[in-house]
Amino acid sequence: MTSARPHPSLPRRRRRSGQPTPGGRPHLLYLAIGFPPAAKSCAYRMRETANQFCALGWDVTVITICDQAWEREFGLDHTLSEGVDPRVRVIGLPLFRADLETDIRAFPEKRTLNPGRWLTELREREQKLFPEPVFGGWRIELERALLRAHRERPSDLLLTTCAPYVNLAATVRLWDEEQVPYAVDFRDGWSVDVIGGGEAFPKDSVAGRWESRALEHALAVWCVNDPIADFYRDRYPELADRVRVVRNGFDPDSLPDPADRATPAPDAGLTFGYLGSVNFKPAFLESVLAGWRLARRDEPLLARATFEVRGHIGAGSAREDNAHMELLRAAAPDGVTFGGPVAKADVADTYGRWDAIVLMLVGGRYVTSGKVYEVMASGLPVVSAHAVDHDASNVLTGHPLWTGAVGLEPTALADRFAAAARLARAATDKQRTTGRALAQRYARAAQIAPAAEYLTALTVRSGVNSAPQEVAR
Amino acid sequence: MIDIVLVAAVVPTRRGVLEQTLRRFQSGGARVLLACLFDPAELDLPASLAQARWLVGPEDDPSFDRRVRRAEPGRQMWIFAERDGVFRRRGARADVLVALDPRAIHTVWQLAQRNRHADAVYGLTPAANAVQARLANPAHFATRRMLLSMPSPTLAARGVLRSATDRGRGLARRLAGKRIMRTRIGRGIWRTVVTAPGLSDTRRIGLANRVYDSMLRAEQVEAATATAVAVARKVRDTRRRAQLTSRATAAELAQGRVPEHLASVVGSQLSLADECLRRGDAQGAGAAVSTASALLFHRGIHFDVLSSPLVDDPAGFLAPIYHSEVGRALAGCRGRARAAKPPTGRRQRILFITRLNDNFLGEIRARYATHPDCETRYLDLDSDPNTQPLTRRDSAMISHILAGDSAYGHEVTEWLKPHLEWADTIFIDWCAASAALVTLIDPGPTRVIVRLHSYETFTLWPHMVDFSRVDDIIFVSEHLRDLTLRAVPALVGPTAPRARVISNAMELTKLPRPKDAQARFVLGLVGISAVAKDPRWAIEVLRLLRRRDDRYRLVLLGSDINPRASGAAARYLRELEREIGELTPAGAVERWGHVEDVPSALTGIGVILSSSVRESFHCALVEGAASAALPVARDWPFFAGRDHSARTLFPADWVVSTPAEATERIIANTADEAVWREQGAAASRHALTTWDWNVVARDYDRLFFGG
Repeated sequence: MTSARPHPSLPRRRRRSGQPTPGGRPHLLYLAIGFPPAAKSCAYRMRETANQFCALGWDVTVITICDQAWEREFGLDHTLSEGVDPRVRVIGLPLFRADLETDIRAFPEKRTLNPGRWLTELREREQKLFPEPVFGGWRIELERALLRAHRERPSDLLLTTCAPYVNLAATVRLWDEEQVPYAVDFRDGWSVDVIGGGEAFPKDSVAGRWESRALEHALAVWCVNDPIADFYRDRYPELADRVRVVRNGFDPDSLPDPADRATPAPDAGLTFGYLGSVNFKPAFLESVLAGWRLARRDEPLLARATFEVRGHIGAGSAREDNAHMELLRAAAPDGVTFGGPVAKADVADTYGRWDAIVLMLVGGRYVTSGKVYEVMASGLPVVSAHAVDHDASNVLTGHPLWTGAVGLEPTALADRFAAAARLARAATDKQRTTGRALAQRYARAAQIAPAAEYLTALTVRSGVNSAPQEVAR
Repeated sequence: MIDIVLVAAVVPTRRGVLEQTLRRFQSGGARVLLACLFDPAELDLPASLAQARWLVGPEDDPSFDRRVRRAEPGRQMWIFAERDGVFRRRGARADVLVALDPRAIHTVWQLAQRNRHADAVYGLTPAANAVQARLANPAHFATRRMLLSMPSPTLAARGVLRSATDRGRGLARRLAGKRIMRTRIGRGIWRTVVTAPGLSDTRRIGLANRVYDSMLRAEQVEAATATAVAVARKVRDTRRRAQLTSRATAAELAQGRVPEHLASVVGSQLSLADECLRRGDAQGAGAAVSTASALLFHRGIHFDVLSSPLVDDPAGFLAPIYHSEVGRALAGCRGRARAAKPPTGRRQRILFITRLNDNFLGEIRARYATHPDCETRYLDLDSDPNTQPLTRRDSAMISHILAGDSAYGHEVTEWLKPHLEWADTIFIDWCAASAALVTLIDPGPTRVIVRLHSYETFTLWPHMVDFSRVDDIIFVSEHLRDLTLRAVPALVGPTAPRARVISNAMELTKLPRPKDAQARFVLGLVGISAVAKDPRWAIEVLRLLRRRDDRYRLVLLGSDINPRASGAAARYLRELEREIGELTPAGAVERWGHVEDVPSALTGIGVILSSSVRESFHCALVEGAASAALPVARDWPFFAGRDHSARTLFPADWVVSTPAEATERIIANTADEAVWREQGAAASRHALTTWDWNVVARDYDRLFFGG
């Protein structure tokens, strides 16, 4: 795209202290709650984003929450931090989710007497500051942190990634007070209901007004797939040319070495695997396990097969102690095991041990999930356990080892498990290679690089006082 | 050795996770005490994994019960726990204290104040982490134990503070106390307070709940409900509004009163369900329908009292269901792919299905088990512990019907489909959960027969059964058929099944035996466990008889009314006990309790009574008549004066309207032994030739084989 004038979202008046030093590295403030070592799936995208900006010549300051806060949630994976560019500076804010505290000594007495009421009141308090349960109460601290970071070291760009959406409040505050240009990596969006489809809240609601205000001056709005991007283009026509799709993609270092893969021995039981957070409803897992049970009963190739579930289950007091765990344990006679989370560094080895992958995803056409790219690039047969009309289906179409999406009906899933078992035994090198080749365009770096370059061109190379340049979109 | 104390106020639902964690503790050499507020046997854990301790309160101590009832949810368990010396001692020296559920947190918190060196955590995984940390660094924790050997110094201060606060609370309690709530002015002031503008939902509801409870304690149930309804109008959140009014309504229902606002409260729950349904939340809709159903069909107004609003005006009473989206969705006909088709070239396969209660199936099953034209199987849906939980998930069943699909539905299909495929005919006894479950599945060419007895008409079940998948519905009497057809629109629509009336299957020939001469003055009432049996009516008959001849006595057979069923049931039982107490010293009333050998017992009974307000058939009366006792049946008030009633079911002279009429009939037919024996023999002949299984079996043959 050619821009004849400075981007309308760039400030007309330069902020007080944000002028990059001539010849110095520009400064990016990256508000990324979930940055490594948080053991969350969003950490991969954040890591790649920070690294890309570093590589483009930025000094990057990441603002996230401290490690102890993550320990309460899904925990830490320090192997994720190993891949972060050492020049990236990380500020960990002491923002904790009180609801996930499990040390009873830290509980106020009121909480012990009526935990339900305490939680309700907490949620109400949180939403008094910002219309987002759980995180709304972080608003003030986040605003202060961004202003502090900017005043310590003037920033040229703020990149805010959601969730949590309370980040938008801090973004708006920094814009209002310091006119720091910003972009929003919206990932799954906010006002779009990615699970149910359609609108999550109207434009004139409190949340709607926050969203409009936050996006109004954004240089760019990134979304993870086309349906979400289209939703935002429809909702905010004035933003249409600033909304772009930045898919999650996969990390090549998470993939098993194709050279290590051999067709499983005929007498060896096949290993199916799922890797990811178990954050869907128990009924969903129940359907998949029922399908697995039927398949194992009816398909001789699966008679001795195992199904390994890896990832995070539950948080706080419910960590690995919830209905999902009970279902998994009850399915042990069917060869189902749960092995806990996998460190990022061990992901490739884990895929390497498996003969087929099960892709369990909630939602529909608005949900892609980062996992789908990794699964596709693994070169393994894929069993889809998600709605037929799901964005993952669009991504996987054409993959020779994909057994198709059939919904969540157990007998239909059983059929797909059996098909994947046959593929695991009979897939040719050519099929595996074709699958991997199809996925190449979804390498994470290839997805994020153009978007980072665009923002770089827009903010640094063009500058406010310099002549506008052509920037690639 | 690491000492662990686990505390659970409710039965942990994730038993597998618990057992696995306990095994990990055991392998780490830990010693575990599991303290709970329920019978530890419910957990079914190996004794070697943990020492279980059931924390119980003193028996028969109303002040203790009151203290527990008034305490906040978290403190309730602590009230039990603090009086248990073993628990306190183990808690004081434990290394890790663990709360397993929210209501156990405060108890662990209290222990943690007294045992400062222990880890106090919420949840099993944090507990496992704490144990792991101790195993990894025992020296550190030994030092900590030494340094923190005294209880928290704030504990005593808190005790003083609490007593002061309690005084403050006591004042507030007195202002909203029973005495004030019994006055119209007091109630009016509190009602004004809780409906005052400017209060947040949370504060308003909190206050309203306290005021409401206080009004209940003052036995101002109607005012309490009216206040809750008035408050609800001010609450913005639909769910909380519905919860508030439902709670209030349930309390009034339990007293056996039909709340003035019942329809609107049920309507608000159903509106909530409709809202959930519209946004695709079938689970939420299912839960709301369950709540609405619990109110509308509360036993306090249908079973534990002597009338039911459903009988007077079924359509009006059930209108909230008929007019809701969820009601229409529940009644929706899913139909079947193929019509039922009898087998050709082989014997008919009949599957009898019931759940828990097979009391009325014995003769039928016995006949067809050996019948040359069929082979039979029997399935009690409650018999297999693996599938039995599926029969109890009413809410999941409703959600499945509303959503049209669910994992629950798949499980039911996987379980029942093979049975349906085997059978040519399925006979489901009781039009309740069994019928609703089976009709979740398209029966294919299998014929489905459902038999409805009586209580089901006063429940949501007939509204959940997909009658487009039922071929025949059997009623045991015409008056029950009439009522049910008026209450359940799906039974009269174009997809309705054939409705037939077939009497209960009873083997009556074993009953006629010579009666003792003294039996002439013995009135018998068999079955008194329900308020609907109205034994007080029989007592009134006895009183009137004894005014004229004190040789008359009444014997009561069967177990007593359960006073815990509802406040209404408890009230009825209290009155009954009082009346029995007055008559017992004179030997006028005897309680024989549960009797195994009914034919022998009936030899001592000369007059058999049916004092009920509602019966579908009343087998006990017919059995008594078959034994040659003089039958005296009350014209059951639920059906009296309608097209069909006790008067159309039994010979006219058996039926009376009032205790006085009953007295006249008894005196007239027992004054002379010969008359009594003659009348008894006539009744016996009528019973045997009308209702004996030899006669009724022909109707069942026609049902199964046609013709």
